[in-house]
Amino acid sequence: MSRILILGYGNPLRGDDAFGWRVAERLLELPPDPSIEILCLHQLTPELMDPLSRADLAIFIDAAAAGDPGAILERRIDPESASRAAFTHHATPEALLAGARALYGRAPEAVMISVTGADFSLGAELSPLVGSRLDEAVATVLRMLPRPAL
Amino acid sequence: MDSDPAQRNIFGVMEAHPEIAREGVRLRQFGQQAIEWLAGKRIHPSWVVPGGVNEPLSAANRDRILAGMPEALAIARRTLDWFKTGMERFREEIRTFANSPTLFMGLVNDKGGLEFYDGKLRFLDAGGHVVQDGVAAADYAEYIGELAHPWTYLKSSFFKPLGYPEGVYRVGPLARLNIIDGCDTPLASQEWAEFRELDRGAVLSSFHYHYARLVEILYALEKIEQLLRSPDILDPNVRALASANQSEGVGVAEAPRGTLIHHYKVDRDGLITWANLIIATGHNNAAMNRGVLQVARHFVQGNKLTEGMLNRVEAVIRAFDPCLSCSTHADGHLALEIDLRAHDGALLDSVRN
Repeated sequence: MSRILILGYGNPLRGDDAFGWRVAERLLELPPDPSIEILCLHQLTPELMDPLSRADLAIFIDAAAAGDPGAILERRIDPESASRAAFTHHATPEALLAGARALYGRAPEAVMISVTGADFSLGAELSPLVGSRLDEAVATVLRMLPRPAL
Repeated sequence: MDSDPAQRNIFGVMEAHPEIAREGVRLRQFGQQAIEWLAGKRIHPSWVVPGGVNEPLSAANRDRILAGMPEALAIARRTLDWFKTGMERFREEIRTFANSPTLFMGLVNDKGGLEFYDGKLRFLDAGGHVVQDGVAAADYAEYIGELAHPWTYLKSSFFKPLGYPEGVYRVGPLARLNIIDGCDTPLASQEWAEFRELDRGAVLSSFHYHYARLVEILYALEKIEQLLRSPDILDPNVRALASANQSEGVGVAEAPRGTLIHHYKVDRDGLITWANLIIATGHNNAAMNRGVLQVARHFVQGNKLTEGMLNRVEAVIRAFDPCLSCSTHADGHLALEIDLRAHDGALLDSVRN
């Protein structure tokens, strides 16, 4: 059974930055699957290297500042591209994957699903535009899961 | 300190000392897991509420945390031993990293012991003498002044009776271990006594913030175990309810980085009308600046900036574990800009990160 780790992250009090968190919450409402672990996180931290090293697939969900607001982007994450300095205060997905490989000998396949935010000001609500993209982001994640998961 | 930048980062550390790095990850996991068990859930933990916590600790969760203690304590002890045996290699840094006489400040309990949450403020001088003791949170402004500079958002705090710059002080792990008369856990007590042997008076080198931090990690783990073994720990009375009964209040706590002072005024509805926060990085600001100057004087030579010089400038700031994003409301990135100037002010070299 393949093991999947889903990480929705961002600041739930900074408008659209909560997008990853909200997607993960939606996924948590679905019937649980023992092969899938879903985390809602403020930021990526070093201890995630351990569960990442035990996963076969990692799906990171985040909000992005660059691009057209509301656009959903999907990209493969390459640990080789980790910046050597990218592990100071908070980590990047690339750095965590590279760290998982360095410390525990393996890193999962990993993808990033990001939405470009429209409003990152203080507040617990997503902007209407970005909020309307939740369903599509959830569907994007579900398409990546091996059937009959979730 | 002078190694290739490609190796002098967290990946380099992981490759050179994978066991230490794995244990660091393990210790963080233990802490995060304990928080999750206490908060009851991983999403929107709101366990800590005004007046206490919103749910008593269950016996099952107490036992789960206790079960993790032996491993966590073993990691903390091994890491501390490893750090102490490696200190000899950093004699030059120890001598020059913000190593100057300042005051120290922090909370102590009524026995003069290590305290993070309650207690009174104590000020100690570089010689190890208490210069002010028993300062209640509400009286902080009588003893702490704040100086604004034109070149930074971050104010510098100082001990008012001595003025600025004579009243510059430090807070955080180094300060706490300097100001206390002891701590109430056995292993940390031994380590504290050994730590205090480093200097005749207060331990002055800011390089030793790292050492002090490790002693405090050991203390924190021992304290967790002490508290969990207390019969009161499962008491269901965990919250006092109150409404706004004062228009002004001051709270002081020791955050890992150092003393945190929050001072608020509220209206009849409890809405904040005025606030003053002095955070650890503000308390340490003047000492950090002195540290940069000291390191620059010692390590910057010639007309060209080298990696080793820059690395030490950054390392002296990092020894304090500052949170510049909180203290200046700037982006969380540590923006480092260094200009090297000749005696006549001519720009010789410049580095931006």
